[in-house]
Parts: sequence; structure tokens; C-alpha cells
Amino acid sequence: MRPYHAHRNRSVWLASMILSSWVFSGCQQSQDPNRIIIWHQMRVDERLVLADQLNQFMELHPGVTVEEIYKETEELRSGFIIAAIAGQGPDLVYGPSDQVGPFEVMEIIDPLETLFERDFLESFTPEALTYYKGHLYQIADKLGNHLTLIYNRHLLQEPPRTNLELMETGIGLTRDLDGDGKTDQYALTWNYTEPFFFIPFMTGYGGWVMDEEGAPTLNSPGTVNGLKFIQKLRDSLRIIPGEADYNIADILFKDGRSAMIINGDWSWAGYEKAGIDFGVAPLPQIRETGLWCAPMVSPKGYSLNANVPGEKRALVIELLRFLMRPDVQLQTARELWTMPTRRDAIESDFVQTNEILKNSAIQIRRGRTMPVVPELRAIWDAMRPAYQAVLGGASTPEEAARDMQELALRKIKEMNE
Amino acid sequence: MNQRSSRLFIAFLVLPAFLILLAVVFYPFVYNVVISFSNMNLRHIKDWAIIGPHQYVKVFFEPTQPNFYAVFLKTIIWTVVNLLFHVVLGVFLALLLNQKEVRGKPLFRTLLILPWAIPQYIVALTWRGMFNYEYGSINLIITKYLSLPAVEWLKSPTEAFLACILTNIWLGFPFMMVIALGALQSIPYELYEAADIDGASWWHKLTRITIPLIRPVMVPAITLGTVWTFNNLNIVWLVSNGGEPSDQTHILVSFVYKAAFNLYRYGYAAALSMVIFVILLLFSLYFMKRTRATEAAYQA
Amino acid sequence: MSTKRILRQLLTYLFLLVFTAIAVYPILQVVTISLRPADRLLSTSLEIIPANATLDNYVGLFEDRPFLVWMWNSVFVSVVVTLTGVVLASTTGYAFSRFDFIGRKIGLLSLLTTQMFPATMLLLPLYIVLIRLGLINTYMGVIVIYAATALPFTIWTMKGYYDTIPYSLEEAARIDGCNQFQAFYKVILPLAAPALVITALFSFMTAWSEYLVAAQVLQDSKLWTLPLGLKSFEANMSTEWGLYGASSIIVTVPVVVLFLALSRYLVSGLTLGSVKG
Repeated sequence: MRPYHAHRNRSVWLASMILSSWVFSGCQQSQDPNRIIIWHQMRVDERLVLADQLNQFMELHPGVTVEEIYKETEELRSGFIIAAIAGQGPDLVYGPSDQVGPFEVMEIIDPLETLFERDFLESFTPEALTYYKGHLYQIADKLGNHLTLIYNRHLLQEPPRTNLELMETGIGLTRDLDGDGKTDQYALTWNYTEPFFFIPFMTGYGGWVMDEEGAPTLNSPGTVNGLKFIQKLRDSLRIIPGEADYNIADILFKDGRSAMIINGDWSWAGYEKAGIDFGVAPLPQIRETGLWCAPMVSPKGYSLNANVPGEKRALVIELLRFLMRPDVQLQTARELWTMPTRRDAIESDFVQTNEILKNSAIQIRRGRTMPVVPELRAIWDAMRPAYQAVLGGASTPEEAARDMQELALRKIKEMNE
Repeated sequence: MNQRSSRLFIAFLVLPAFLILLAVVFYPFVYNVVISFSNMNLRHIKDWAIIGPHQYVKVFFEPTQPNFYAVFLKTIIWTVVNLLFHVVLGVFLALLLNQKEVRGKPLFRTLLILPWAIPQYIVALTWRGMFNYEYGSINLIITKYLSLPAVEWLKSPTEAFLACILTNIWLGFPFMMVIALGALQSIPYELYEAADIDGASWWHKLTRITIPLIRPVMVPAITLGTVWTFNNLNIVWLVSNGGEPSDQTHILVSFVYKAAFNLYRYGYAAALSMVIFVILLLFSLYFMKRTRATEAAYQA
Repeated sequence: MSTKRILRQLLTYLFLLVFTAIAVYPILQVVTISLRPADRLLSTSLEIIPANATLDNYVGLFEDRPFLVWMWNSVFVSVVVTLTGVVLASTTGYAFSRFDFIGRKIGLLSLLTTQMFPATMLLLPLYIVLIRLGLINTYMGVIVIYAATALPFTIWTMKGYYDTIPYSLEEAARIDGCNQFQAFYKVILPLAAPALVITALFSFMTAWSEYLVAAQVLQDSKLWTLPLGLKSFEANMSTEWGLYGASSIIVTVPVVVLFLALSRYLVSGLTLGSVKG
């Protein structure tokens, strides 16, 4: 009967589909004791250096393969959570230190201090080891992720050292070059609508995001005065653009339309690629308080997935030891201007004499460590709306500071219920 | 064909589709329902427990900023405006392209589907760039060629929302155009000829012949288009950079994503998603009843 | 030609040109991004061909990245999903259109409800299901899910299109000696060509451009499809816009080619008029 003909066609079809996809399918996730998988959020040039270093490791350890997979920061976070909760995931996860808090609470990463000797750990600069609730959860090979003042040497020879200097020179640097009434060149531009990029000014005026217990401290003169300063730059002095997000600021600087930009260590390579003759300087000092603008500084490093079987851990630790070798860290520093974390590497000639790294080190010293507690996320989410309301004119700095604090408290409560 | 073999035939036709859907959609659905009654969040991720309708109470009564009802209203506006323009533009362009005398139809057709074909991420961000106050093409066109003052698109809530809508209209009309083109093929040309002989106006032909006859094919597209647009997180997120300014530019799904996933409030997110689901379900049931979309051909 | 007709033609071309320009302009911007050196998403100038235009990004795509691997994976997955989708939707849609059976209404409704969930909600349980079924890191995993995702719309559209085809045609065919299946296959299906094109295009697009599910299932980078590859150019603040732009343009090409190949059948003019008479 005819319907069976249809039935036969369909089952042949399905069978061949299944067969072909099995033939082509890749292998399952890492149950292989000689295969290590790393998930990370490194940008391209960092990845290339890592790939090279992994190749070196694999040459030293024949029979072992190490694979690195890139995921964008947010993807990495949620992807790792989903995979690890389901008992899977990579062996090592690499990222900034603030992922430690949530991962620890969800019990998907394991402590590391028992896996290394004391001497080894002490050969690191202390900020590189992220402790949380008494245990070591992340070992970093890079320190930084900090905002710096980057200037175009073509337009500006000496970067300002204080906020007053910034305002003074800023006026001269903001120009309407073709006389059409629109500003063609700005003194400074940056992603000022994002709280992370506001932090240096908050700290410059004496504020900070939280106290030692992790409770928010957003309703402070630091917040209010920082906001007022930015408003002054934008509305009365007009030395920064009226509207700027990350991409706009980036393009203004790359096109030579802005003398300065405030951006992080991840961006320097991009400006080099764009052919800008740039210099890196520490952020200015706020005259009124005498404090230096302090950006958040964060180590970026490796955490161990709680699902990694015991037998495999020795190999994973071996890999970490390799990646943390001073010469390996120096290779990274040479290519990417990253700040290493082994004391030997930090004290090397290269790091001590390189122009960019010297300034970077000064900025790191003046910066503040980014908190790793999960509450920080709630604080960012609470800062953003009020902060943007001020910039949009819907709210005053005082009101915004109050609102931020209230919202932060509420969000933290909700998160921890 | 006797009853039994026709039933078998039907089963063969329908079963594979349902088995797949069962495994891949219904289990997650049930899981979601269960989680929505639980306290799953950062502190209770492996040891979550059922706590009753607590999360639903929060969804409706928690004083969030913006609140649930404002976002809900915005979502409705978002959906209705988008769909309206998608369908009207899509059908309009399909009608234009369906005329015999027009030359270069393949070229026009192909260029007009490009918004559908290109990956959304980069083009949404390109649109965001076009809405920039100082450097964006849209303000440049407005000030140079229309002599109107530049609009601060991304700084104020209404304009930012409008920017998202405009971007999504651009992205969505090609799809409706393709559906409409296909639907138009089912209308026999003789009907139009007969109408012409009777001296019917173009409006008459449109409303009495075209629209009723493309309806069976447009209805699935419109219903599902509504559902998809309602749930379309990407565009709003990308053009407004995550709800800016100040978390005002949100529709329900982006609101879920931000309020819940950023802070690991999975139970709350599940409850909010269930609410979205019920809203869409009620709408679809109503819409399908009105258009009698579930009836089989031989009943009509 | 009457003035009315001339006017109508002029207006038609005018509208088509305006809308085509609107459709194409942002695409040109993406082309510009792909030609710009140093990863610039935006620009302060409005030129379409930028100063220092370079093809480095296109070259780099094939030299420095496994773009061809991604392309092959996407093509394989999308073709399988498209063929599966066309077969299943055309038959299931037919059943819904022609037969009345228990659970038909519920079936149609439940197909619809599967669309109503925001995908982000389903990720964790989906991942668990896939692990249990052993489908993580397999083509089968994504193929199954994409087919399932595309089916509700395509089944319903096929049904809608079949509804416009009078049953009398099958009856005539049966009188001529065909059984139900032959009537379906030989008479009805060719008439439903436009809907089949829609089904094919939609299934293809679903598989070609889907990201979320692929990101969960395809962990091994050798299996990555194009959306995953493109996402790897993204970074929070260091996106490689040049490569992203170039790959976006290249990724659009197969879709356009498919559309060109199929659009003939979309406007086939195989209207009922020719069969009825």
C-alpha cells in the first residue's frame, strides 16, 4: 500500500541524517585525562600569545593537549554556570576576579591554596591571588584591567596632572576647526555614561562603592562631586562630547578628533594598530581633595572547575605552573604591555624601563582593587539608572546619589533572598 | 482509502514533528514552571526549594524601576507598532513587486530582503551609530536635507524607544514581504480580471479580493510575528545599549533578562517568563478564534 | 498607455527605489566597516568607501581564522534542517489542512505555544536534556532543535497555503486513479510551491543565523557554526569590527544566493487558474 512507500522514504531519510551527523560529530567534552580545556574571555592578541604559550607547554608534555576556547565575558559567566551546574564545563576558567564571588557561592569552583606550595604563592604580588571567604580561588597572570589617561602626542605633549590643568588645557584643545559652529576636536572623550568609567572621579573626590562588609556606600560626597565635575566638563566647559558611549569615544580618539581618552589597558594595542602616536599617563589628581583618581584594578586569572576529577588535577596544576613562569609572563608583557604578577617578572628590566608599563604601574599603585563579592553586580546595576538620569538632566547629583544607594540596598536584598 | 490506513497516514505525517518538540521544548517548559514557584537564585542554586507563588507576587507588586505595568504597556506599543508597519510595508511592497509590468523585479526583491539576510548584531549596532546625536547619519540627513533640528535620539526615553522601533521595522518588513509575495500567488488572476470587468476600484479589489485571499497564509505570519516581536530581546538591547537611558528603554523580555539574569534571580525570571507566556497565549487564542485559523480546508 | 498607467508605473518605481535605498544603506555601512582598517565600528566621516580602505579583513578572515570550517558546519546544519523542515512541514501541514482528527486543534495550538518562551529561559533545562540524550557537541543536537524551532511556523504556513487550494482538486485526482498520497504529491504539492519556498527559506535562516542554542550545544570549536564564529570576534570592549563586518557580508551571500535560486518558485505564477480551467 502506498503509505508504506512514504514511510519507507521518510525512515531512510531520517536514518541517513542520523548516520551522517554521527559520522561527522565531534567528540564529547573533556573526560579525557590528557586533554585540558580552558575557557577564557581574552581578546584576540591575548589569545594569540596564549596559544603560543600552550604550544610550548604541549611540546614539553607530549601526549597532552590543551585547548583554549574564547567566550565573550557575559557568555563566559553564564555559560560556565550552566555547564558547571550540570556537572560539565572546562577544567579552567579564566577571567577577571569579580567572577570569583558568584562562582564560589554556587560552589562551582574549588580552592587552590592546598594545591601549591607556600613559597610558590609568596612569589606572587599579593593582588594577584584572589582570596574569598578565606580560600584562594583564583591565581592571576595579569594585573590591571585599569583605566588610564591616554593622549594623542600629536595634539598634546604633556598630559594634565590635576583636574584644574585638565580643565585649563582642555579649553584650548577643544576646537572648531572649520568654523561651522560644531566642535571638531574635543579635549577629552570617554565612555562616561558607564559607571565603571565614572569610578575614578568618584574615588578622586573621596568616595567608594562599598565598605568592608560589602554594603554599598554610594550616597557620599565623592559620588556627588564626581558627578558635578563631569557635568561641568560637559555642560559648562564643553570639552567632552555631549553624548558618548564606548564606540563613539573610541572612534573619536582613533580619528584624531580627541586629544585624550580615558580607556583601559585592553585598548592600547588597538590605538597602536590605528597608527596613533599615543602616550599612557596616570589619571589626574583632584586638587580640591588632594586625592588621585583611582580606577578599579583587577587581576585576571584562572579558577579551577569543581567538576575536575582528582586524578586530572596534577596535570592542570602543572599547566598553571607553566603559565605562571616569570619568563612566560614576560613574553606576554612584551607583546601586550600587561603587568605580570610574579615578583621576578615585575622586577625585570623590561617592566621597569618600558614607558607604557612604567605609567601603568603608577596607575595600578594608585588604583583600588575591584571587590569580588557578588554584591558588586547589584551595585553596578543600581548606579547605572541614577547616574544616567543625572546626565540626561532628569535628576540632580544629590538626588542621584541617594537613589543609587537605595536601589543598591534593594537589589542586594533581592539577590540574597 | 479506509479509515485505518488514513489514520496511520496522519500519524506518520504528524508524529515525528511532535516527538521532537516534546523532548526539546516541553521538558524545559515544565522545568520552568516548577522553577517559577521556587526560590532559585544565587544563594540557592543547587538546593532550591518550592516556596509557592512568592515570585509571582513579586512580579506584579514589586516596586521596580520602571514598574511592571509601564514596561508591559511599552511592550504592547512595541509589538503593535512594529507589526503594523511590518505587515503594511510588506504587503505594500509585495503588491508593487507582483505587478506584471515592473522591470528588474529580481533585483529589487533581492535588495529588499537584505535586512533579513544580514546578521543582526552588527547591523543593529550600526543603526545605533546612525542615531548618534553628533555623528549619526540620521541627524545629518534631518538637519541638512529636512532643515529640522537634530534629535537627541539615545538620550531621552521616548526617542530611544522610537529608535529601537525604527530599527526593528527596518529589520522586519522583508520577512512579511516574502510571505505576502507567496500568498499573492494563490490568488487566481481571473478574479482580478472579473473585478476589472465589473469596474471595481483598486480599493475594492484590495479589500474584497486580495486581503481575504492572502489571509490564510498571512495569519500564521502575523500571529507568530506578534509573538516573536513581543519576545525580541536583541534589538531593544543593542540599540539602547541595555535599556539606556536609565533602564527606561525596556520591553518585558529585556527587563526579565536584566533584572533577573544580572542578579542570578532565576526563580523570579521564570515567574516573569510564565507571565509573558500566559499573556501571549491569551492573545493567540483570541486572535486565532477571530480569524478562525485552526479550521481545516474542507470545513470552510 | 494611459496616463493612469504611466503614473502608476512611475509611482511604483519611485517607491521601490526609495525603499530599496533605505534597505541597502545600513548594509553599505557594514561594507564600509569591513573595509576600514583598525576596527572602527563608527566613523566621523560619511564616506562609503573609507580612506585607507583595505581588504585585509577579508583576507584575514580566511587566513587567521577557521572561517571555512565555520562555513562548512553552518552549511551542513542548515541544509539538513532545511530539507528536514520542508519534508516534515509539507506533510504535517497537509494533515492539519485536510483531515480532522482528535487533538488537531490542540496540536496546532501547542505548536504555537512552543514559540512563546524567551529562549534564554530554556537554556539550562535544555542543556540538561541534551546531556542526557548525549547530544551535546553533536550536529544532531542543533539539527534537532532547529528543526523543532522552525516547525511551528512552517507547518502552520503550509497549512494556510493548502487551505487556499480547493479540495476538489484532490477529488478529481482520486477519480483519475491516484490514492491520497499520490494526489498530495503530484497535484497539491507543486501548487504549494510558494509556501514550500517560504518554508525552505525560513528553516534555512533559522539554522543559519541562530546563536543561543548553538552556543550551548556546540562546545568544541571544530563544530562551530558561523554565528558562533562571528561571536568570537566580539569582546566586551575590544570587538574586532573589521573582521566582524567582513564576515557579516560574506555570511549574507549564501542567503541571498538561496533566495535568488528559490524566488522563481515563490512567484511561480503556477496559479490555480491554470489548473482549474
